[in-house]
Amino acid sequence: MRVGVEVGGTFTDLVAIENGRVRVAKVPSVPARPDEGAMASLAAGGIDLTAVEDLVHGSTVATNAILERKGAPVALLTTRGFRDVLFLQRHNRTQIYDLFYKKPEPVLARRDILEIDERMSGQGVVVEALDEAATAARLAKFLGTGRFQSVAICLLNAYAEPKHERRLAAMVAAQFPDLTITCSADVTREFREYERTSTTTLAAYVQPVIDSYLRRFESQLREQKFAGRFSIMQSNGGRLPVAGMSRNAITSLFSGPAAGVMGAVRQAGLSGHGDLITLDMGGTSTDVCLVAGGKPNLSGETEVDGLPIRTPVLDIVTVGAGGGSICWRDDGGMLRVGPESAGADPGPACYGRGGTRPAITDAHMLRGTIRAEAFLGGKMNVNGAASSSVFKLLSEQFDLSLEQMADSAVRVADANIVGAIQLVSTERGRDPRDYVLVPFGGAGPLHAARVAEELGITTILVPPNAGVLSAYGLLASDFLQYETLTRRITLGEGAAEQVQTLFAELKARVTASFRDLGIQGELHYSHSLDMRFIGQAFEITVDIDGGELAGLDADGLLALFNEAHNRVFSFGESGLHRAEIVSFRLGASAPPDVVPALNEGIGDAVLRAAHKIFDQGEWRDCLLLSRAAIGAEASGIPGPALVEDGTSTIFVPQGWTATVDKQDNILLKSEA
Amino acid sequence: MASKTAINTVDQAVISQGLIAAAREMGVKLVRSAYSPVVREANDCSAALLDRHGNVVAQAELIPMQLGPIGATFRPCADLFPTDTLVEGDFYINNDPFEGGQHLQDVFLFSPIFFDGILVGFGATVAHHLDLGGGAPGLNPDATDVHQEGIIFPPSKYNMDHDWHGGPLERLIRANIRVPDQTIGDFNAQFAANGIGGRRMQDLCARFGPDVVMRAMDELLDYSERRMRAAIAELPDGVYEGEDYLDDDGISDQPLLVKARVEIKGDSVIVDYAGTCDQVVSNVNCPYASTVAAGLSCVKSVLTSPDIPFNEGSKRPIEVRAPYGSILNPRRPAPVRARMLSAYRAYNAVMKALAPSAPEKVIAAGFDSTEIIVLSQLTPDGYKIYLEILGGGYGASAHGDGCDAVDSPLSNCSNVPVEAMDMEYDYFRVEDYSLVADSGGAGKYRGGLGFQRRYHILADNVTFATYSDRFRLAPEGLFGGADGVCASTQVLRGDQVIELPSKVSYPLQKGDILVARTGGGAGYGNVDERLEADVARDLAEGFIRRAEAAE
Repeated sequence: MRVGVEVGGTFTDLVAIENGRVRVAKVPSVPARPDEGAMASLAAGGIDLTAVEDLVHGSTVATNAILERKGAPVALLTTRGFRDVLFLQRHNRTQIYDLFYKKPEPVLARRDILEIDERMSGQGVVVEALDEAATAARLAKFLGTGRFQSVAICLLNAYAEPKHERRLAAMVAAQFPDLTITCSADVTREFREYERTSTTTLAAYVQPVIDSYLRRFESQLREQKFAGRFSIMQSNGGRLPVAGMSRNAITSLFSGPAAGVMGAVRQAGLSGHGDLITLDMGGTSTDVCLVAGGKPNLSGETEVDGLPIRTPVLDIVTVGAGGGSICWRDDGGMLRVGPESAGADPGPACYGRGGTRPAITDAHMLRGTIRAEAFLGGKMNVNGAASSSVFKLLSEQFDLSLEQMADSAVRVADANIVGAIQLVSTERGRDPRDYVLVPFGGAGPLHAARVAEELGITTILVPPNAGVLSAYGLLASDFLQYETLTRRITLGEGAAEQVQTLFAELKARVTASFRDLGIQGELHYSHSLDMRFIGQAFEITVDIDGGELAGLDADGLLALFNEAHNRVFSFGESGLHRAEIVSFRLGASAPPDVVPALNEGIGDAVLRAAHKIFDQGEWRDCLLLSRAAIGAEASGIPGPALVEDGTSTIFVPQGWTATVDKQDNILLKSEA
Repeated sequence: MASKTAINTVDQAVISQGLIAAAREMGVKLVRSAYSPVVREANDCSAALLDRHGNVVAQAELIPMQLGPIGATFRPCADLFPTDTLVEGDFYINNDPFEGGQHLQDVFLFSPIFFDGILVGFGATVAHHLDLGGGAPGLNPDATDVHQEGIIFPPSKYNMDHDWHGGPLERLIRANIRVPDQTIGDFNAQFAANGIGGRRMQDLCARFGPDVVMRAMDELLDYSERRMRAAIAELPDGVYEGEDYLDDDGISDQPLLVKARVEIKGDSVIVDYAGTCDQVVSNVNCPYASTVAAGLSCVKSVLTSPDIPFNEGSKRPIEVRAPYGSILNPRRPAPVRARMLSAYRAYNAVMKALAPSAPEKVIAAGFDSTEIIVLSQLTPDGYKIYLEILGGGYGASAHGDGCDAVDSPLSNCSNVPVEAMDMEYDYFRVEDYSLVADSGGAGKYRGGLGFQRRYHILADNVTFATYSDRFRLAPEGLFGGADGVCASTQVLRGDQVIELPSKVSYPLQKGDILVARTGGGAGYGNVDERLEADVARDLAEGFIRRAEAAE
């Protein structure tokens, strides 16, 4: 049996697969002790751990350690003269008119930083040698205080040549064997000292937290005679055996949204769709991600609490548009939705828990697009009268009827989501019309069709059981690890050969790491180069087909880069500048066994009734259906229709047709 | 709500967000595809979408100083070459400080946007160009007129096909500047960003129809105006005065006075700089458009919510006057390269004027200067130019300590990472980049700290050029807070310590250590009211070392 357990902020979800059968469970999370929620979900699912071969886990432990500043006491060793890099940051402000601006606060104090006498050049040549004798004495004094549990080592230009970092790590390990040590060269090998130091420090900060969390979790699993493989989800959309987390804890940040994307990718893939835009709309926000050819876009950077992290993560953009997002009128008379949210508590007014401001879920109540009797599959009592009363003032301010006001608010929320999708598509040089929209989360399927219309998307795929898609994504994800390296190479004679040599080195390194972790079988490799015209400072990622790598010369690389540059920036080679490679990234992945469709417990009750909704300015008759009722119609159901599907509602507007395919995905097609 | 335009609430919200998002995308792409460090690392550039009349409707929030001037630079172009004569591929160019421009380095480009053959608006970008010729690479601190500062592009119209892409204008520019590949590359990034803005506006026109989009642009201007007026109306009517000084003009030791009289009347503001000193021979003269931007930025930062989108409408309630021939509205051909220094004092004077009536909204004076560091070298392969823009400590406020080591309020440049310098430049190496302890003025809340960079010079024949301020006159504390600490620049040569003035060009030699130390911000409120825990933390962290702070 294979089991995925995803610990979220509110719920802990479980998906178990045995002999092609899928079982799901959902229990409340225990925020202070996430492993308790996880164990509870195993109990709720009736899982016999002795029968589990493969257990995949995702949690918010790393993210919360940073947000709540509950990581390990960490020391930083850095090059002489650069102790303040984490405080100086990039010298800019993220809010240009905020006179009271504060920089994001680092996770350690200035006195936790020790400067080391050494200097490497940008070309990786020693400028000042590491004075080992003097350094050993200073380390003994600094670390001997017992204040620290973890040590981050990030020296200037170590991305080019890490030998001073390695030597320092060995010296620390020899004197203080109990300290966790994290070198920048093992976490990120890309230039720009602030971002690299931030990444290394955060990695060192969360490492002991993850270590002890996983040790505790593993011991509970062992008590229940679990003998299978235990792996952990990462923000890059892949997983690693738990042993791999002993030096990669930072990659477990944001694993929940990544798992959701992977679940959507797998479920849509079963229906033959690989070019997707995922739309995960929950209570407070919406996450969107672009997937091309079954591979989610990667980004080289992310941040937590304003602190940058440079490690490959799924390129997920979040916008503050969710069911709890507050609808309001600003002091210039513009209708706004979010980013403030009523969250889960008190929640929208219709929850009856004290929410007093109009939220998107209330708007749906007023429009008839959410029915009180069907909320969360009828398991939760909601109060439509409360929705009316909180929308009253707003509708008076805009001189609109209640339902016109609600309809307007929903359309502004849609526009916010459209903006997020444009960020991951048009802004990256991708045309959203070439993609299938995959909505999930409680509110995604309700908004998807109108969002699709704005973007010119004509196909929507709604996976079944969308409420546990993240936990399913855990099981559907590959084992995955990236190795990155900064090495500047001007495109010209000999460049292609150097590229091949460097990729071969990275490949050998990541392959050895996989074998150490016990991952056997065939590995798939992905290759990408971060390139730019000489003189530019930002690189564009160019994916290289592994099969074509051997045949590529410098001109071929230039052509690939030029095409990518043109796509994003609308201009390419002008003859002024030569191009160069700045960084290399190689990914190795090993797919899990076949994962069946997520179609358990989707219900076979056939509901078909007349209903009214307020949409685009008027009340319209529409069909109210259950999922099974669509399956009964071979030619599909034409909109307008509302499909109540367990924990979510799918809106099929006029001009769209809904069908169910063999994988139990509901497909909406636009006639446009 | 009754609106004078018959556009519905949703379309208005969606088109407004679309225009603002498009302007932001233009800015991001300009930075990311640019070549010179001053644009690509320091982000000294701006981007905007204009309506068909040249009013800025949406602007990327990059640099406050470039608020306002985009429209001011557009108008002289349109007066000479009316918009109804424009065809596809045309563009306006202008960098003339006496025709709405800033300093010559800021070159404004405007590309018309057509939809179905109708002019619907303009994509506009401005970037600080690393070198535009003139008397010295990157910066000529000795210029006595604007002609010595570089090439002037008077308000003009050209066409991409005829004049760019190897055409006469591109060739003319290339021949008159020192690092043509970087500069022409940055121009291309500007043109591309204009094109992206154009495409996004065309997409909106296709979805909503050009008439609706144009109405939405009109309404967006009114919207920003309403929000500005509502914020201004909250302040009591009255006339307030403030003043500040520049250290000097770089030639004599005479401080230069900047005076502001701020009149708040209902929902509008008049800022009058009457009484400000006359223009000077050196480059600290501030063109009128820059003066307007400085006054406007201060009023906007102090009085209004940061999320009011900046556009031409937000300028309407604020009038800025400066006497012709003064340092804040100089006559041609005054040199203006270091205009930011006077612009900052114009900003400080308004801030000081507003302080008594809005003590919770203002901040104490900070380093509030743009310190430019240029290190250049002529090699057999051509010029190499390193240019960086340094800020310092922010002034403290009623809400907390001033921000440490950050670019000054009218600008928002990032630093150039030391690892990026180590890749690019072989004639110097930064060996220290750190906060300067004790540089923030004490107070209930202390001023932000300045910082220092130590450059180890690795070759002979390196020229250092700089301008800065607050080397001699410290930023003043507010409501009992102490002054901030001044900036300084030193060259360490063997046993010699050479103190350099704030505005100078100086030859360096191999082995020299150049130490650029920027100033701290002033304190707010009496230091006796400072929490002991804050003092203890500052001492433990080494942010302060003074004995008196521990008392």
